[in-house]
Amino acid sequence: MIILSAKNLTKSFGKKIALSNINLEIPRGRIIGLLGPNGSGKSTLIKLATGLLVPTGGEITIDGAIPGVETKAKTSYLAERTYLNGWMRAEDIIAFFEDFYEDFNRIKAENMLKDLNINPSDRLKTMSKGTKEKVQLILIMSRSAELYLLDEPIGGVDPAARDYILNTIITNYKENASVIISTHLIADIEQVLDDIVFISKGEITMTSTVDEIREKYNKSVDGLFREVFKC
Amino acid sequence: MLGKLLKHEVKATGRTFLPMYGALLILTIITKLVITIGAPDFFTDNIATGPVAEVILGITFTLYVIVITALCIMTFVVIIQRFYKNLFTDEGYLMFSLPVKTRELIFSKLLVGLMWSVVCCLMLVISIFILSLGSFSMMEVVQDINMAYTDFYTQFGMSLNIILFELFLCMLVSAISSILLIYASIAIGQLFNQHRVLASFGAYIVITIVLQIIVSIILVAVPLLANLDILFSGIDGIKAAQWLINGTTLINLVLCVIFYFCTQYIMEKHLNLE
Amino acid sequence: MKWYIDSDRPIYKQLVEQIELRIISGVYSPGDKLGSVRDLAMDAGVNPNTMQKALAELERMDLVFAQRTSGRYITEDKKVIDEVKKALAFREIERFFEKMELLGFGKDEILTLIKKVEEGENSNDNTKR
Repeated sequence: MIILSAKNLTKSFGKKIALSNINLEIPRGRIIGLLGPNGSGKSTLIKLATGLLVPTGGEITIDGAIPGVETKAKTSYLAERTYLNGWMRAEDIIAFFEDFYEDFNRIKAENMLKDLNINPSDRLKTMSKGTKEKVQLILIMSRSAELYLLDEPIGGVDPAARDYILNTIITNYKENASVIISTHLIADIEQVLDDIVFISKGEITMTSTVDEIREKYNKSVDGLFREVFKC
Repeated sequence: MLGKLLKHEVKATGRTFLPMYGALLILTIITKLVITIGAPDFFTDNIATGPVAEVILGITFTLYVIVITALCIMTFVVIIQRFYKNLFTDEGYLMFSLPVKTRELIFSKLLVGLMWSVVCCLMLVISIFILSLGSFSMMEVVQDINMAYTDFYTQFGMSLNIILFELFLCMLVSAISSILLIYASIAIGQLFNQHRVLASFGAYIVITIVLQIIVSIILVAVPLLANLDILFSGIDGIKAAQWLINGTTLINLVLCVIFYFCTQYIMEKHLNLE
Repeated sequence: MKWYIDSDRPIYKQLVEQIELRIISGVYSPGDKLGSVRDLAMDAGVNPNTMQKALAELERMDLVFAQRTSGRYITEDKKVIDEVKKALAFREIERFFEKMELLGFGKDEILTLIKKVEEGENSNDNTKR
């Protein structure tokens, strides 16, 4: 069963072509790494999947539907930036998510805040950047979505929290849901991935499973990535 | 979903406005006290009871005017800022990921913006009412109002309410179209890759100028058309006034529709958050 | 027991080896019930699908069997376990020989060295007593 499908997907901004002719099928129940250097089009692809951008050509569908209200209810998106309003407290934003998303699990979110030592009545603007990112991640992972789109989830986070986050992704795993993680910190997440998609200059250069790459090239995905995308 | 957006929008904006309204009320009461003590015949004589009273009166009044002006400006600024900041900066990543329709996003901001505009006017009226307490008698006022109604009916053959309603409608639709013009300008600014804020300002100015030009053309051209002379001959001044008021309402309604669809189209097809 | 997963070899294969080790060394006793795929995956810090693949392989090797509703269990068949133990031992020895050959030792030298080390350990034991 396919949860995300891109057919000849193209996106350009004026003259700049961000994605060209992307063909991709993501099955359910997989954890996929979307890997590529900066500016390769990873974020653009994710934004197209979330409906934040509209294709210039081709199409992208989530569970057969074009991104819209229906798909947004099924998709949980972690943006690369902090998108939470500063005056809110952590508990306010939890109430907000609970309001808008039927599949949001408040208890799970509150437990995760506790695990990461975040005080629910702290205002977001008093939190450090790392803490804000953790809060965002908690909100996203407390949803019971069919497709999780994580854009650089472990970038600004300390190693201990990184492990916690990867653990959360593993334990959150559901057979009918998929997780797409876009990152360049490959070594840290490789063990958690099923499949990888290499993307460069707006085009997909390779799709494979992690083990296939290790079998074939005798090196980790991280190692292969460094070779393929050597500067 | 619209209800939830409205709720959230009110919460987010109330934090700014409620303290200001509180300040206005307090300042109104203080000003009223100062007037009562320092210049009891203020509304009839405008003479203070001494230099000290005059100074205090002067200061209080200045503060009062500042707060009122600030309130009006704040209302305008918040309308702009809520739309721009909440939808087209980092927060936009959250808002556009919500399972809500684009029109619900626009309407939630529009309705709440309108609400605060109305509240602003109401607060001004209440504040002035408090200030002027005691300088008139309710009985007199009621009598005056009743007289105005009867006089109007006698002279024009229709209730004053009709004109009042038409005026109210005109102001309402005009307020809505002003807000939608702001939204459309912000949306147009989003079409550019750089200098978006500048582009928004530019769009606002250009559209306003174009509208002014069109209005000027109409005001000049229409009276020159012979047909209208015939139409208007024999019509009272009041009917002409009604034509003017309702005509403005209609034009603003058309503008509302244009601005709204322009905004929605850009938000749906050309969204490009940085 | 910690999970040692290095980066160059397929993950599922390493998981198979690690579980084999646990079975042979007694961390998992014959007949023991294994945790759920997700718990094992979380413990090892790997993708549940990968852990699933490893467990399927272990089932194929008859080291692990699945009871339809109650989960997965380590085999009680001692013969199978012994055979795996032997296979693992052979693998280690082969690797050892490979390494020693790299260092330039021939087979006879290797056996002599082994005896020396063994005797050395015995004399150490004697002195300790």
